[in-house]
Amino acid sequence: MFIEVAKVGDIAPGGMIAVEANKKELVLCNYEGKIYAVSRRCGHTNAPLEMGTLEGYILTCPLHYSQFDITTGEALSGTVPRHFGDEPMPESIGRFFQYAGMLISKIKTYDLETYPVKIDGNSIMIEV
Amino acid sequence: MNVESRKKALRFMFQKVVDPLGYKFSPDEETVDFLLEQEVMLEQKHGIPFCPCQGLTRKREENMKIVCPCIPFHREHFDAIKRCWCLLFVTKDVTNPDELKQIPFGEIKRG
Repeated sequence: MFIEVAKVGDIAPGGMIAVEANKKELVLCNYEGKIYAVSRRCGHTNAPLEMGTLEGYILTCPLHYSQFDITTGEALSGTVPRHFGDEPMPESIGRFFQYAGMLISKIKTYDLETYPVKIDGNSIMIEV
Repeated sequence: MNVESRKKALRFMFQKVVDPLGYKFSPDEETVDFLLEQEVMLEQKHGIPFCPCQGLTRKREENMKIVCPCIPFHREHFDAIKRCWCLLFVTKDVTNPDELKQIPFGEIKRG
């Protein structure tokens, strides 16, 4: 069943918004005037994807920069190693980041769920 | 991760970067496809699509200068030879990439 989640004018071209429907969190993406709906949580560590960037059809996660194809939900790349600068940091903090980095590198990046979208007049309808 | 999907994505993203710099993908499709595939392999290993034709060092600062497309870090060099080091990109006026030689920057500077 399709339900209304937003109005067409709510998303600027190239933009994204987060919506919630049927207890599911989704991101609506406007790619060249067409609306795509994908799950809001990153397929890596659940970061909110609408806070990332949308470049064409490629959505980049704001947390570890995994990328996804919004038209299919396919994970296009894994995480990008983070650099914390060349200044030495306190040993305890350095050890924490090393440990966290090791854990993050062990987490796979999965595809996103995609959802059928229908435009009805001025309404964006999603089947969830 | 699917290699073909990633190659398509890299092509999509790189195009937006190199076009304003006056470059385009080489007309030699076979070379482009091969180089993009090597970059995908490097990205899967390191998390970053490094240039497949230049060696990584132990210095991060140096390595960041060979993240593809690395044209902005080697502008004078690549503008002079009308291609990037790999021949993945050529300047927009190039129609026959086979005519372009891979000349080290030192040789160009010596003139």
